[in-house]
Amino acid sequence: MAADIKKLESIAANCRRKVVRMVRSGGSGHLGGALSCLDILTVLFFHTLNHQPSNPKYPDRDRFILSAGHKCMALYSVLCQAGYFEEERLDTYGKLGTALPGHPNMRKLPGIEANTGALGHGLSIAAGMALGLRLDGKASRVFTVLGDGELPEGSNWEAIAAAAHHKIDNLIAFIDDNGLQISGKTTEIMNLEPISDRFKSFGWAVKDIDGNNIKEIVGVLENLPFEKGKPSVIIARTVKAKGLSFAEGKLSYHYWKPSKEELEQAERELDEAIKAKAV
Amino acid sequence: MELQKADPRKTFGAAVTEIARQNKDIVIVSADSGGSSGFGDFKKEFPQRYFEFGIAEQGAVGMACGLAATGKIPVFCAIAPFVTLRPFEMFRNDIGYMRQNVKIVGRNGGISYSDLGSTHHSLEDFAIIRMIPGIQIFAPQDPNEIKSAVKAMLESPEPAYMRIGNDPIPFLFDESPFEIGKGRIVRSGKDVTIIMTGSLAASVIKAGELLAQRGIEAEIISMPTICPIDADLIKKSALKTKRIITVEEHYIIGGLGGIVSELSAEFLNVPVKRLGIPHTYAVSGPYQELLSYYKLDAEGIADSAEAAIR
Repeated sequence: MAADIKKLESIAANCRRKVVRMVRSGGSGHLGGALSCLDILTVLFFHTLNHQPSNPKYPDRDRFILSAGHKCMALYSVLCQAGYFEEERLDTYGKLGTALPGHPNMRKLPGIEANTGALGHGLSIAAGMALGLRLDGKASRVFTVLGDGELPEGSNWEAIAAAAHHKIDNLIAFIDDNGLQISGKTTEIMNLEPISDRFKSFGWAVKDIDGNNIKEIVGVLENLPFEKGKPSVIIARTVKAKGLSFAEGKLSYHYWKPSKEELEQAERELDEAIKAKAV
Repeated sequence: MELQKADPRKTFGAAVTEIARQNKDIVIVSADSGGSSGFGDFKKEFPQRYFEFGIAEQGAVGMACGLAATGKIPVFCAIAPFVTLRPFEMFRNDIGYMRQNVKIVGRNGGISYSDLGSTHHSLEDFAIIRMIPGIQIFAPQDPNEIKSAVKAMLESPEPAYMRIGNDPIPFLFDESPFEIGKGRIVRSGKDVTIIMTGSLAASVIKAGELLAQRGIEAEIISMPTICPIDADLIKKSALKTKRIITVEEHYIIGGLGGIVSELSAEFLNVPVKRLGIPHTYAVSGPYQELLSYYKLDAEGIADSAEAAIR
């Protein structure tokens, strides 16, 4: 298991570098959230999900929906790393007609399961998919990542109630709780703490983890669902812009339009991280 | 002679249930709305395929989209404003943009929930839903057409919105296959083209008879598909009659009248008189009285048509 963790950490380092590669292509991007959820996505795509990058529509696959669609650079980087598409496409980010728009589009890129971007949509779609798969008697599970900032959307709570009511236990949600949204701290903008208790009271099985700790993420996903007959949610405490020394935990890196110097520093840091984490 | 009538909601629910007996992919999504949508039998026969989400239409549309993404054909029917206005963004992004095979059905369309007031009226559904690229919009006009339109809608892989009414409606047409995107001439004439859709068909047909008595030969086009509109049929008729009147239980802006006006402005240069509800919050009252108030009964339609062309 220890070797697996090291390998996953190495993959995450490579994926972080790809995020910055896309920022170089587009000139800007939603950096902070992409890097806060990136370790979760790495574990999902390289450890947990039953999927086939060479056969993206494989019927028995597990599904993944990035509800917080603005964090798409994280999704693009893991999909690319997993082999869903060739690396050169990363260099179309932000360019005319790209298949990698600023919010994901399932009709443009393999591996994308839903067109998210408007917040508060992903969980409902994921719950519906999980119901449909269950109706077909499939073992497939549906994973989704929500941002903590999107939780106040009322539609989320419609889905949270419905998922518990219908006992959709093949639905697993992560809350990428980096504590920051565009105008400030999530607890100051709209305080939903204690998030865990809210989910519990709605009938979900809840676990809290450090969402940037690969070992903890792997551990929490070892036995699913957490409770039979209940949807599972992982409150993943993360750090915005995780992995870039100058940006970690800073609100101003929610959306990043780097200077030449900052971009080069980011690339240097992440190249070094790849070397340091190589297995 | 009084025509035989049927309840549009029961007709609709029975039509879906009949097809669902053959097609196990059809599932029902309900926002506490399935029973009133004619799905009582469906729920009894196929409880595993009947999903109740409570009064939560935004989530229901999103979950319908998720079901469709796994190959199901979800049918979500509720009071028209609650499946169009309330979850509009889900309709656009989850159904339209993701191109998911979801069938949304707005019942009690137009002002048919007449006495319940403007919160329950649906006078802008054609206008807003046609702004979503790729959504087929249907407004079948009699019980037989509801049945055939349901069949065509469920057989098509494209997302769709259908509007049906509330009060019993008369049988007007023989049973025949529904052709998506096609209108048809139900009365030939040379003086004016009247294009109708949805629940007012019986009144328009009657108005055609009244106009004939007044020496006006109206060509009546039945248009149960709002999107995609049958532009060729409209053009052909309008080039003959040189005048168009549209009739719908919708605001006079944005719906059938709006579509036909856009067509005419760009291709025909034929005057279009739009009959419907003025752009305001409609008054409440008994349905038939309300239709008369807005001159949408046969007499009112005939009078407006005559005034428009003389």
